[in-house]
Amino acid sequence: MFMCKDVVENIMEYIDSELDLQTLKELEKHTGDCPECMAFVNTYKRMLEITGKLKDKPFVTPEVRNRLRVLLKSKIKPV
Amino acid sequence: MEIGFFKKLINVIVTKDNERLSDKSDVELVNLYTNKGDESAFDEIVTRYSDRVYGFALRITRNANDAEEVFQEVFLTLTKKLDTFRAESKFSSWLYRVTANASYMYLRSQKKHESNISLENYYPYDEKGTLMGKIMDKDWSSRPDITIFSKEALDIIDKSINELPESYRAVFHLRDIDGLSNEEAANILEISIPAVKSRLHRARLFLRDRLSDYFHEWRR
Repeated sequence: MFMCKDVVENIMEYIDSELDLQTLKELEKHTGDCPECMAFVNTYKRMLEITGKLKDKPFVTPEVRNRLRVLLKSKIKPV
Repeated sequence: MEIGFFKKLINVIVTKDNERLSDKSDVELVNLYTNKGDESAFDEIVTRYSDRVYGFALRITRNANDAEEVFQEVFLTLTKKLDTFRAESKFSSWLYRVTANASYMYLRSQKKHESNISLENYYPYDEKGTLMGKIMDKDWSSRPDITIFSKEALDIIDKSINELPESYRAVFHLRDIDGLSNEEAANILEISIPAVKSRLHRARLFLRDRLSDYFHEWRR
């Protein structure tokens, strides 16, 4: 019998559309009947949306970039 | 008038050169630098990869000063060892591996190597395999986008990623922040693909829980 545990352990493949048809049907049936699992899947998807936003975050400040530039200029010998 | 014309001409040439450089593949840039000593090609590599190198170093070291040390070390190493890159793997994968190695070496030299806690037994269900009474109470999925994507929420998730044990943190960063494939992450970290998937799975479960706690507290 498909349980909440199976939803949790198959969630990555479910999100990536990598589940076989039988498992997909069982997961969706269980999730449709189980509000806890529905909430789990929905919050999991929202979490991925939030972490996806971190992609847009610039890491290097102009100061860090400038210090690297100065360092490289002092170390690279002209060819 | 003549001076203006030459200025325009120079601008056109410079712009065209820059366009050409930014259009070049990583391998072409590497070859330009290693074979011809073209420093502008090296600059383009720095521009292209600064954020990814620094971001990954910051994720491993969790400290801006340490990350900058690694960042500088990686690009200094490149000036000397770029010719050791073989185009058998993607340049980006090779550079990530150089960054990971430099980060771990730096942490070891500073005696900052952290103990690696396993999250393999981290799961949200009870011993019977059910989620009964564990998720719905803290369901935040229908919160408006303005709340979900607030700066505070983004800071919380960023901080929570840094609470992950090191081996999970690196996998999560490569997969879910930098968007690499399982294969690429496995290749960079020199672990198996199932290990990447397993660590990513546990890391995501951990972070979903952290966000649930945060939004639940926020409602109060």
